[in-house]
Amino acid sequence: MSSNNNHKDILMRVDNLVKHFPIMKGFFQKQVGAVRAVDGVSFDVRRGETLGLVGESGCGKSTTGRTILQLYRPTSGDVQFDGVNLVTLKGEDLRMMRRKMQMIFQDPYASLNPRMTVGEIIREPLMVHQVATEAEGNERVKQLLELVKLNPSFTSRYPHEFSGGQRQRIGIARALALQPSFIVCDEPISALDVSIQAQVVNLLEELQEQFNLTYLFIAHDLSMVRHISDRVAVMYLGVVVELATRDELYNHPLHPYTQALLSAVPVPDPVIESTRKRTILVGDVPSPANPPSGCRFRTRCPIAEAVCAESRPEFREIKPGHFVACFFAERFLHAVSPVQV
Amino acid sequence: MPDSLLDVQGLETTFKTPEGVVHAVNGVSFGLKEGETLGVVGESGCGKSVTMLSILGLIASPPGKVEAGKADFFGQDLLKMSKDEIRAVRGAQIGMVFQDPMTSLNPVLTVGRQLQEPLMLHLGMTKKQAEERAAQLLEMVGIPNAADRLEDYPHQFSGGMRQRVMIAIALSCSPQVLIADEPTTALDVTIQAQIMDLVKRLRTELGMAIIWITHDLGVVAGLAQRVIVMYGGFIIEEAQVDELFANPSHPYTIGLIGSLPRVDQTEHNKLYSIEGLPPMLFEKPTHCPFAPRCKWALEHCWKENPMLESVGPEHRAACWVDTKTGRHR
Repeated sequence: MSSNNNHKDILMRVDNLVKHFPIMKGFFQKQVGAVRAVDGVSFDVRRGETLGLVGESGCGKSTTGRTILQLYRPTSGDVQFDGVNLVTLKGEDLRMMRRKMQMIFQDPYASLNPRMTVGEIIREPLMVHQVATEAEGNERVKQLLELVKLNPSFTSRYPHEFSGGQRQRIGIARALALQPSFIVCDEPISALDVSIQAQVVNLLEELQEQFNLTYLFIAHDLSMVRHISDRVAVMYLGVVVELATRDELYNHPLHPYTQALLSAVPVPDPVIESTRKRTILVGDVPSPANPPSGCRFRTRCPIAEAVCAESRPEFREIKPGHFVACFFAERFLHAVSPVQV
Repeated sequence: MPDSLLDVQGLETTFKTPEGVVHAVNGVSFGLKEGETLGVVGESGCGKSVTMLSILGLIASPPGKVEAGKADFFGQDLLKMSKDEIRAVRGAQIGMVFQDPMTSLNPVLTVGRQLQEPLMLHLGMTKKQAEERAAQLLEMVGIPNAADRLEDYPHQFSGGMRQRVMIAIALSCSPQVLIADEPTTALDVTIQAQIMDLVKRLRTELGMAIIWITHDLGVVAGLAQRVIVMYGGFIIEEAQVDELFANPSHPYTIGLIGSLPRVDQTEHNKLYSIEGLPPMLFEKPTHCPFAPRCKWALEHCWKENPMLESVGPEHRAACWVDTKTGRHR
C-alpha cells in the first residue's frame, strides 16, 4: 500500500479482498442476492507486528480473518503470504502453506473436540502434516504445554476438566504446534473473565517475542486492541474505514465512525467518565445483504452530505501511514480525540 | 434502615448439583437508597446474579435454595412472601432487565402484547388504555414509529432495539427499583452507549433506584454512584464510585482495576494479571476466599474469613491486610 514500506518487511498483503455469501431461494435454490460480508479490503501485515482488526458484530472482521487463511475461498481479490498468492493455491500446495498460518478461535468450549484428550488435540496438527512420529509428538506436546504454562502431565485429560482460560491455552498450544509464523487470533479473549483475559494476553505477547510471531488480532474490545496492537484497522460493514499506527489512530482518529466508536468505549475511571462527551450514533448497522450506496457509514454518519451517497470514498493515505476512507477526513486533522485526556 | 428502600441482610443461597452443594451466595448484606444507582461488579460465578434472583424469588427450587437472610422492601420481607405476593411486587414495584434480550422476550407474542400484559395485570388497565400506554412507553425508550411497531414480533427488532423494549416493559408500571443484570453485555459498544444514555435520561426523568449488575468496570464508572464488588459469593468491597476507583482497598479490586487496559492509555506496560482461578464454592470457605490468588496473603488469611470493615469514608472492605503497608490491618 504505502510506497515507503520495505517490501521484505511485509509478511501478508491483502489486496481488494471480497467475500460474498450467496442468498439462495426457492426449490431450485436460485441465487437471489448476496451477503457482502467483506467488500474490498486491502491492508498489509508486517513481519513481527500485531495488526488489530476492530469493528462491531457483523462488520466482517472474522470473515476477513478466515478468508485470508483460505478457510473461506475469496470471491475475488488476492492474498500474498511471503510472496506466494494463496488464492491460486490448491490441494497439497495450500496444505503446505497452512503450516505457517494458524488460528486461535473465540470460543474455547466449541473449538476443542470434547472426545479427544489434550495430548491428542495438540498432537493432531503434527500427525496431519506428518512432521513427527508419535513418540516425538508426545515429547513436543509436553514442551508446548509448558510453553503455555500448563502442567505437562495434563496430556491425558479431556477439555471439560479445564476452565475457559486453560482451554484457551490449549488452543494456543495447538496453534503453535507447527511453529507457524502468522497467527489469526479471532477474539481469543472475548469469552473469558476479566482477570483471566490479562493472563492470556500476556501469554500471547510473550510468545510473540519468543518466536517472532505475526498476529492478526481480531477483536471488538478497543481498549485491549490498543494494548496489544502495533497498528489498528477499523472495519465497518465489510470495508476498512481507517488504518493507522496504534497511538495515531487513538489520538487522531479521522473517520467519523472511528471517533464515535472510541467515544462509546467506557473508561474505568469515574472522574473521566463524568466529563467525557459522547458521540451517540443513531440507529443500527444496516444489513450487509443490502448495504447503503456510496459510503457504507453515511446512514449513521453525523457529517454525511449528498456526495456520500453518490460515490464510495477512496481509502487514501492522508498522512504517512494513516489511511482513511472519508471525503471529509481533513476536517478532523486538528480535532481532539474522544479518548485524549 | 430508615433511608434504605431495599435492605438485604445475611442472604445465603445454595444449589444442589451432582458434584455436591454449591455455596453461591454466602451471607450478603447491602442497602439500596431511594433514587440511587448501585453497581454490582464481579466475574462469572461470583454470585452477583444469584443474589438478585434470590431477592426476586426467581431461584428455581430445587436445585436452588435460599438458606438464610431477609430482604426488607417497604416493611415487608421479600424472602418470606408467597409466590403470589412476590409476583405482585415483581414487574410492578421492582422492574427487571436481563442480559439476553432475545431469550427474555416471548418470540410468539407481539411486542405490544408483552408491553400491555404488566399494565393490565398490575395496574388494572383496560385493553384500550394499555395499548395507548404501550405506545407511549416505546416512544419513551426511543423506538421510532412506536405506535406502528406494537404489532411487530421480537425477531423484527435488532438487539439494541429489543433491549429498549425490555427496558420499556421493566419501567411500564413505574417501579421504585430497576434491577438490570448485564443488560448491555451482549450489545456492541455503540449500542451500549445508546442504552446507557437512555438509562441515564430515564433515571433523571423517573427517579427510580437502579441495581446495575456488570463485569465491566468502565460501565460502572460511568453509571453508578455506589459500587459493591463480589467474589466467591461474598461482598468483598463497597464504596462510593469515586472512592472505589481512587482508593481500591481489597487486593481483588486492585487486581481487577489494574488488569484492565484502557482506551485512553498511552503507556503500554505488561498487564497486571491475577494468577489462578476463581474458587469452586463446593465448601463454604473458612478462610478468605481470595487468599489462594492473593499476593499479599498472610498466615491469618488462611485461618479466618475477614468481615467487611470500614477502611475510609463510606468505604468498607473485607481484608485482613492493609495493602499500603502489606501488614495485618
